[in-house]
Amino acid sequence: MSDGTGLLELDDVHAYYGNIRALKGVSLSVARGEIVTLIGSNGAGKTTTLRTVLGTVRALRGTVSFAGRRIDRVPTHRIARLGIAQSPEGRRIFAPMTVLENLELGAFSRADREAIPRDLEHVLTLFPRLRDRLQQKGGTLSGGEQQMLAMGRALMARPDMLLLDEPSMGLSPILVETIFEIIRSINQLGTTILLVEQNARMALRVANRGYVIQTGRIVLQDAASALLHSDVVRKAYLGEK
Amino acid sequence: MTDAGRVRPLPAALLVSALVAYPFIDRALHAQTVHAVTDAMIYVLLALGLNIVVGYAGLLDLGYAAFFAIGAYTMGLLNSPVLGSPLYGHVWSFWVVIWIAALVSAGLGVVIGFPTLRVRGDYLAIITLAFGEIIPVAIRNLGDITIDIGGWRPVERLNLTGGENGVNPVGRPYLPGVNFDTDFIPWYFLILVIGAVSLWAMNRMRASRLGRAWMAIREDETAADCTGVNPIKTKLLAFGLGASFAGFAGSFYAAKLQAITPGAFEFNVSIMLLCMVVLGGMGSLKGVILGGMLITLFDRILLAQMTFLIRWIGRSLGIATLAAVDLTLWRWFFFGLGLVIIMLLRPEGLAGRRVRPPAADVDEREEALALVTAPPRPRAEAIPGWLRASTAAPSDRPTTRPVLHVRGLTRRFGGLVAVSEVDLVIPPRGIVGLIGPNGAGKTTFFNLVTGLLRPDQGEILLDGASLVGLRPHAIVGRGIARTFQSIRLFQNMTVLDNVLVGEHCRLRASVAGVVFRPPAVVAEEARARARAQEMLAFVGLDDKDGELAKNLSYGDQRRLEIARALATEPTLLLLDEPTAGMNPRETDALTELIGLLREELGLAVLLIEHHMEVVMTISDRITVLDYGTRIAEGTPAEIRRNAKVIEAYLGKGYEQELVSG
Repeated sequence: MSDGTGLLELDDVHAYYGNIRALKGVSLSVARGEIVTLIGSNGAGKTTTLRTVLGTVRALRGTVSFAGRRIDRVPTHRIARLGIAQSPEGRRIFAPMTVLENLELGAFSRADREAIPRDLEHVLTLFPRLRDRLQQKGGTLSGGEQQMLAMGRALMARPDMLLLDEPSMGLSPILVETIFEIIRSINQLGTTILLVEQNARMALRVANRGYVIQTGRIVLQDAASALLHSDVVRKAYLGEK
Repeated sequence: MTDAGRVRPLPAALLVSALVAYPFIDRALHAQTVHAVTDAMIYVLLALGLNIVVGYAGLLDLGYAAFFAIGAYTMGLLNSPVLGSPLYGHVWSFWVVIWIAALVSAGLGVVIGFPTLRVRGDYLAIITLAFGEIIPVAIRNLGDITIDIGGWRPVERLNLTGGENGVNPVGRPYLPGVNFDTDFIPWYFLILVIGAVSLWAMNRMRASRLGRAWMAIREDETAADCTGVNPIKTKLLAFGLGASFAGFAGSFYAAKLQAITPGAFEFNVSIMLLCMVVLGGMGSLKGVILGGMLITLFDRILLAQMTFLIRWIGRSLGIATLAAVDLTLWRWFFFGLGLVIIMLLRPEGLAGRRVRPPAADVDEREEALALVTAPPRPRAEAIPGWLRASTAAPSDRPTTRPVLHVRGLTRRFGGLVAVSEVDLVIPPRGIVGLIGPNGAGKTTFFNLVTGLLRPDQGEILLDGASLVGLRPHAIVGRGIARTFQSIRLFQNMTVLDNVLVGEHCRLRASVAGVVFRPPAVVAEEARARARAQEMLAFVGLDDKDGELAKNLSYGDQRRLEIARALATEPTLLLLDEPTAGMNPRETDALTELIGLLREELGLAVLLIEHHMEVVMTISDRITVLDYGTRIAEGTPAEIRRNAKVIEAYLGKGYEQELVSG
């Protein structure tokens, strides 16, 4: 699929994570306006793939391009300014700062200051729980609330491209439904999404296309609806016997 | 792990011969370096002691030179004529006082450690820094003490330390036929023996129950506490034992130099020692020796020789500035420069464990590991026999009494009531699910039961005995083990060591035990290792025992955390979202594992979980929290139909999801 026309292009990316060679030639492409999901077991290389995009793990070989520009040697903070945001980044919120400050920081590098209050309102409508806790310190939130905060902060950046790393992890069932609705709605507002999820069923339902990654290699790619009905995926990732 | 005591015989023999031959070769060559090398070895011994505190236990100590001073002044006080010591002049006094000095330093280490127990990082550094400043100042001022109470002077002009002038002379060691007065070689051998014995003891401590506890505290104090390691005792032992080596070094220093002044124990000495530890590689004995030798020999020999050389060049060429140069004045500049360069090139230190990835294409092992898309299914036969034996319900336990009984548990944070009047009962062999919206207080409830937080009100009874007020490690000892929502392993310790820390609270080896290794301790350690291996085999991690925990995949980390919890031999296991981030197959395997623990070991389990298929399948009963209060309690079938629960937590889509599969 790497035909060089996508918003995000990974071509033959090799990368190490710790001592483990996590990626062994990953190629994938996300077109503008799409939701693409990357599914696979733990340790297959999903998170590492996201990290090579933001540059927190560097590709040893291969290229990563965004909007036609190579970014595999660009410093992480500059990648973020190109319009890529990631969430929840292992719930890395700013613990000593309030919920409000965390959200405001998400919009740190934006030029359109006047649109920020509206987006803040939008985020608080998506996550009413955060509205209750606006003045509380981020570190005192529960795990699930931190997850919401991380997601809200990423949305405040109004990214062209959002990398989502297991957004449903640790959320209550009712919120898991909500989070996938949110993913769909922000996509409709124009954000392109690369989604990594353990909940493969929900992910494939919301996505346009999907890639299956195994031991650092893409082993399958197809339209999401086709993957949802593929025998391999059903057995390995949907938990059907 | 290279310096864990597995020394190859040939290089070791070569090293010993070289160390023995060195002073005689030095004398034959008239190099006159023995004096400097002996001094260097004192600093190496100090750095090794500091390494226990900083490298093993991870406690940043900026005032370590104070213990050096205390060791030296103990020798001065007890073995100098100027201070009127009754021990002075006795042929055995050095050999006695050196032990007293170590004991006094260790005691002060514990005293200083005490107020710093609750602080870490910056605060600890500041407190130790202050201590390091106080000691030389106190020594300066204890040279002339007068206590005046309304004209009555019980103490008048008492000279305890010699003040600014210091103590001179200090008694030398006495051994028949050995010349300690004019010859440096006996001093060299004396410090060599002290150093070798210290190194031997440290090496044994490191690879023991105690060493693992230190490293666990360094990696994650909260997790260590919740795994049964007493953080207070462990840290005090680090301070005390670390200081005792400074006591040896200090008393040797005083006797060798014959004179001590407060100036020799200033802040810069602490910093230099810290540099040695960091430069060599924190936690590595080899590295610290290397770092210590490099820094002191650079200072004492290289700088002096270079100064000599440059002056000679200056004189030959007639350049006055060069002829008058004194590089030793630039010592701190060179230290700083060297340290910066090393830290840029090798941040882990000269002999630290490499943290960067290895060369490419050596990953057949990872390949094999990751191909297993289906995690190993837990097998009842694989349950370690010892675990079966230890958790077999004691016959005296009434089978009807709940394992855990919580009544009216309440905890407030400021105005927020995080947990309010919650009741919960776990019967023997019971699996109870604890569910609720995010932020409902589930993890706070866990923290109350495990002692990380103290309840404002309410009772927590384990087998009928109250747990309120007990510290987390004591609660682990009573039989409650837990895992964490965001995995908290000891990242830079091996997989095997993580499980061994779990066994910590069931092991008995004392400090003397780990150093002298009587048969009982050797047997206990061997048994602990065998048990840990069995445990790893049970959770399917036996082939990764030597890997660092941080290098495991997410699912493996979750399993390791459970293995570590099981190693504490619990009667009740608290699991905080154990299947978060796991795919359906891994989730199935974990669900089976939890069922197996109950069936085979009779463990009771309290489970926070958002995967409804897990909770609904394995729980006997479920408690639902919302805004800190219990909104429902019942069997899975009841909870599933409860309108309040559906509204607050499950969502309307849940029933459809169940039907559509």
